[in-house]
Amino acid sequence: MEIMIYTLISVKEGSGKLEKLLLNIKGISGVALYSVCLNGIAAVVGENKKSDLISDKANAIEFAGIIEKLSQHFTLLPMRYGSFMESADAIALMLERNYQEIEQNLGKVEDKYEFGLKVFCDSEKLKSGILQKTEAETGTAAGAATEVKYSVFREYVNAKLKAHRLEELMISYVDSVIIAINTQLTLLQAEHKFKKMASASILIDSVFLLEKRKKDELVDVIKKLQGQYPELDFVLTGPWPPYSFVETTIK
Amino acid sequence: MSENKILFNTGSLDSLSQEIGKLASIEDSKLKLTPDNADSGLAKLVLTLVELIRKLVEKQAMRRVDGGSLTDDEIERLGETLMKLEMKMEELKKHFNLTDRDLNINLGPLGDLM
Repeated sequence: MEIMIYTLISVKEGSGKLEKLLLNIKGISGVALYSVCLNGIAAVVGENKKSDLISDKANAIEFAGIIEKLSQHFTLLPMRYGSFMESADAIALMLERNYQEIEQNLGKVEDKYEFGLKVFCDSEKLKSGILQKTEAETGTAAGAATEVKYSVFREYVNAKLKAHRLEELMISYVDSVIIAINTQLTLLQAEHKFKKMASASILIDSVFLLEKRKKDELVDVIKKLQGQYPELDFVLTGPWPPYSFVETTIK
Repeated sequence: MSENKILFNTGSLDSLSQEIGKLASIEDSKLKLTPDNADSGLAKLVLTLVELIRKLVEKQAMRRVDGGSLTDDEIERLGETLMKLEMKMEELKKHFNLTDRDLNINLGPLGDLM
């Protein structure tokens, strides 16, 4: 028998509520879900076959939906899709061995949701705007190199240098936007992770861990930032289970 | 993603849709080494690493040029070297029938290599 672990849940006030909820939630491929508990921590599991689940996108989406439903009622740590153990006893032993770490992580995400913020831009338009602004401020062409005798190699270096300077300007600009976002998030006491220039059109890809009750405040903050940066497109999503803030490696 | 998961956006979700579309094509940017394509797969892997190093060298060189620590002659020689390296890379890509996109491996959560 193979058992897939879906998530680890904090059930400090007893597992009755969870057991009741699991009666109405089916696992992937319609399997029944049940819990394996140890001192206020429950592993939600289902008897799925490993061979049926590998690389199946539809099942992965179904898995995310189950985690999503449970996260609306409990503080939880999502498990990596496709986490299997041999038996309920092995899961109980895993909970025992990792109890302290799991408990600490559950404490960290208690009553919190994850939110995602992607900042999009038209990179060519943005680069051109930054270049114009810099030239206006300095009174010189930002990309222009010192005038020297013409040679094809020198021209090549000049072109590369211009691209390099523009990229540095872009990085400074992204940093300034991150500082602006950070300043607001600090007021909300949100934990955050930023990825700069994730792709040509995503200037900033970030996730926040925030108290559930502060959701509306976060939306207001992002609206304010959008007003501050009309050249960018802010897209805020959530609430999500805390996928990006689980820092436990199960032993 | 369900509609109610979008808490704020400025109207059009075209950019987001495009990015989601790109995720679907990530499979194409992964290295696929099989017994049948060992030669081309290995060439792609090696050229990806060479291109990464070439770009790092170029970046560092531009930092030095920008910092003003090189003489005109040194810049001239640097230009010649970088230009020849780029041309050689183009030749190799053509030889192995590879494009710039082929050499930009997707590293999953870390994003694209270059």
